[in-house]
Amino acid sequence: MSTVDWKNYTPVLLPDIKDLHKIDVYTKNGGYKALKSVLTDKKKWEGPKAVIDEVKSANIRGRGGAGFNAGLKWSFMPPADGGPRYLACNGDESEPGTFKDRKIFEYNPHVFIEGALIAAYAMEITTIYVYIRGEYKTYIDMMEKAVSDAYDKGFIGKNILGSDYSVDFYVHSGAGAYICGEETSMLESLEGKRGYPRVKPPFPAQKGLWGRPTTINNIETLSHVTGVINKGAEWFSSIGAKNHPGPVLYGISGHVNNPGVYELPSGVPVLDLIEIAGGMRNGKKLKAVIPGGSSTPILRADQLDGITMDSDSLRTVGSMLGTAGIVVMDEDTDIVDVLWRIAHFYHHESCGQCTPCREGTGWLEKILLKIKNGDGEVRDLDLLLDLTTQMEGRTICALADAAAWPVRFTINRFRDEFEARCKKKAHAVA
Amino acid sequence: MPEIFIDGHRYEFEGDHKVLQFIQDLGKEVPFFCYHPSMTAPANCRQCMVKAGQYMKDRETGDYEVDENGDRVIRWFPKLQTSCNLMAADGMVILTQETDELVKRAQKDNLELILINHPLDCPICDQAGECPLQIQTYKYGPEGSRFEVKKVHKPKRIQLGPRVVLDAERCINCTRCTRFTQEISKTHQLTITSRGDKNYPTTAPGREFDDPYSLNTVDICPVGALTSADFRFKARVWEMNQTPSIDITNGKGTNIDLWTRDNLILRVTPRYNADVNDHWMPDAGREAYKIFNENRISRPQQKLDGEQVLSSWNNAIATFTEQIEETDNSKIVVIASPHASVEENYALSKYTNLLGLNQPVFTPHIEEGTRDDFLLSDDVAPNANGCRLLGFTELDKASIKKEIKKAELVVILNDNLIDREVIAADDLKEKFVVVFATNNSDTSKTADLVIPITTAAEHAASYVNVDGRIQRTYRAKETKYTDRRLDLEMSEGRLDRYGTNFDNWVTEDNKVDCLPVWAFINSLAESSGLELNFSDGREIMDEIASTVDSFSGVSYAAMDEQSGIQLSIKKETSTSK
Repeated sequence: MSTVDWKNYTPVLLPDIKDLHKIDVYTKNGGYKALKSVLTDKKKWEGPKAVIDEVKSANIRGRGGAGFNAGLKWSFMPPADGGPRYLACNGDESEPGTFKDRKIFEYNPHVFIEGALIAAYAMEITTIYVYIRGEYKTYIDMMEKAVSDAYDKGFIGKNILGSDYSVDFYVHSGAGAYICGEETSMLESLEGKRGYPRVKPPFPAQKGLWGRPTTINNIETLSHVTGVINKGAEWFSSIGAKNHPGPVLYGISGHVNNPGVYELPSGVPVLDLIEIAGGMRNGKKLKAVIPGGSSTPILRADQLDGITMDSDSLRTVGSMLGTAGIVVMDEDTDIVDVLWRIAHFYHHESCGQCTPCREGTGWLEKILLKIKNGDGEVRDLDLLLDLTTQMEGRTICALADAAAWPVRFTINRFRDEFEARCKKKAHAVA
Repeated sequence: MPEIFIDGHRYEFEGDHKVLQFIQDLGKEVPFFCYHPSMTAPANCRQCMVKAGQYMKDRETGDYEVDENGDRVIRWFPKLQTSCNLMAADGMVILTQETDELVKRAQKDNLELILINHPLDCPICDQAGECPLQIQTYKYGPEGSRFEVKKVHKPKRIQLGPRVVLDAERCINCTRCTRFTQEISKTHQLTITSRGDKNYPTTAPGREFDDPYSLNTVDICPVGALTSADFRFKARVWEMNQTPSIDITNGKGTNIDLWTRDNLILRVTPRYNADVNDHWMPDAGREAYKIFNENRISRPQQKLDGEQVLSSWNNAIATFTEQIEETDNSKIVVIASPHASVEENYALSKYTNLLGLNQPVFTPHIEEGTRDDFLLSDDVAPNANGCRLLGFTELDKASIKKEIKKAELVVILNDNLIDREVIAADDLKEKFVVVFATNNSDTSKTADLVIPITTAAEHAASYVNVDGRIQRTYRAKETKYTDRRLDLEMSEGRLDRYGTNFDNWVTEDNKVDCLPVWAFINSLAESSGLELNFSDGREIMDEIASTVDSFSGVSYAAMDEQSGIQLSIKKETSTSK
């Protein structure tokens, strides 16, 4: 396995430039050049289709968790028929352990706005929504400022940069529901409805926002579009892991010395990332890592040798890249407690639409609480595993899977600790 | 023709079909809760899981691909599918719980999950006995539950509106009720509140669920979460007999079921008729059960010295005949009724024709502002079109008054003319007034002779609705003179079939001393020496069909088969308000 050269990597999304969130600083540093090129350089870009092809060949795998090729997703949009079409940018970022988009809103909002504008142009979309989670009040305000600055400078609005392309850009605040990060319930929320995921088909590209063709992309995904247009698809696909190329914003949290967001190529070894984040806190030993947000299967320290942060490598040990929100846990971590806390989250956040998730998440949490309190029995573990199979793949959206996986994999990978906790009671009785 | 293979059997289909509905239409079953044929399919209960796949076809030849054993190649969907929102496609293969263990298991798993937070208070729940959750749990559910922790507690006994009570703990969150207010009644009064296993349907804060169609949500609730404030705790479902009937409180002719126990009608629910009311009915019509039970006139009444007193049938017949014979024909006015059935009106008019009287007159019962462009029309009488088609003279209020003024003997067939302010009590002064009536009213109270007659629940008779559709009722309760055990058309309840003789229908008090109009007319004719021999509604309708052109081809058998027959009526009457 060739190691990714991350030591010589220069960040593009979060470069070390002071006040980059200000539009003047951004334009001074080459900002909105990509947009201008796409809109005005007719020799280089023979129209929207050429932009889609470029992005497709760059192979930007969606950074929201599913990892689908962004350009390919764009090409699913039906031909423009003169009616409204929408780009919905997903900044709900509600998966525990994930906080990367926040950094974009805070430090480099214009790279995202520019990427979104290019995406909208490529798909002949005239309205862009960016849906930001309600808890990000500060960043919503910053985004609104950035968008209004871009309007003032003529990057958004009517006949952008003298072209015949016009687009509107709206910042929309969520109200604190995890489920609204699921793309179709985000659409419901944007329409002012209760955040319930929609039944697919029809897919958003056919019937999305207000029944019109809609594409939904993650904030980080769209931010990468700017770089792809500026530097070319080849530049992007040459960075990092082959099947999941490009820079990734790693959100590292937990028991490390310097938690935070690190922009590095994809495919960095997990153990290296822990070192990049300052190593284990207080010199403790590593116990486990959740690699991509709380719903991705947990990995034991002994599984991590040589494992890199890309979907292929993580699949070999039974996990996923997800949102690249890495949660690091040291030897003192009570894994039963961790799992209960995750289950509590999914119980709290299940929208309640489908039976298996609505009822299952609550049941999982209640059993885990019982085990956590030392009242569990070993048979409860098998019941938990059984419940996960009753939930997985039986609901409209993937939240039931997201709730079931941590339970299944954490119990499977740390069964001895769970059993030990369950047997406590038996010992006490004996 | 496109073909679909369900549990190994081949079926042909045309057009768009949801797999669940298609399976149901075949008479087979897949359990479900949230799906309703008249509303969108949200696929949220996840109960109607089936295994679905597609026979692969060779693109060039269009033939099915076969493997080395000669079996057709099936590409299965990666996950189980909810059949309620799966559209039937050519070459689709469906396995239900009958043939696939995984499907059976998935349905069982799902029921276990639905039941963990359900209170399982069936013994005190109104829905028990007609509860899809109860039925399907017995059929497809797990043997027991592995749920040993605490259930979620939610609000109970919430008066959502004047007519509907919510028990949120029983709710399985199928959203049928919220979708009803969004898609059918369009009041948008209900929504789901809260999240996950804490959610339940409710109104916006401070708002009442006073939708004029609110009780339909009680009917479609697949559990006992929504109950009728009026019917709550009145009767168990299995104690009642269910009889098809027609709503007589509005001209729309909504198809209903009457639920009877011990000769009392206890509730009214809508009955499916795609051409009239689909699955729905207005709340207004549900109150109608009271007219069958309460304030009924039992035994004929006669005025003696200005006071109405109980009389006898013989006295009533003698008095009526005497009055007819004593009064000059030109001084007799016979007022037929849009509130009475075709058969009753016909019987009365045939009798008066034999006597050589003028054709009966009638006035429609219009209440402006009742109309809602859904299931209510301004015409609140069930049979105005029936009177028109029988050729009666339609008069407005003023003309009716004029007719009455001229007369000395006024015969009114079940129409509360005073109560609905067509005439005043004074208009009937100094005249002999005969009223055929089911219930006490101001009109009946002014009468010199009151003949108690059967209601729509006590006779089988037909009514022509505002759109010209003739539909009929069935006998749902006994009178003093009928015995339901001798009446093969009366419905049997579960207690009739499986109970003892003493389980049901024991109270004589609830039987009313009344006769069908035609039975009384038979006696009248006899005492005047006329030949009339009406036996029952069915035969009267046969006679009408053979003598009145507008009703040709109508018979009870035909009405039963087609759930009503469309008659041709004049355009202006069809849109009459």
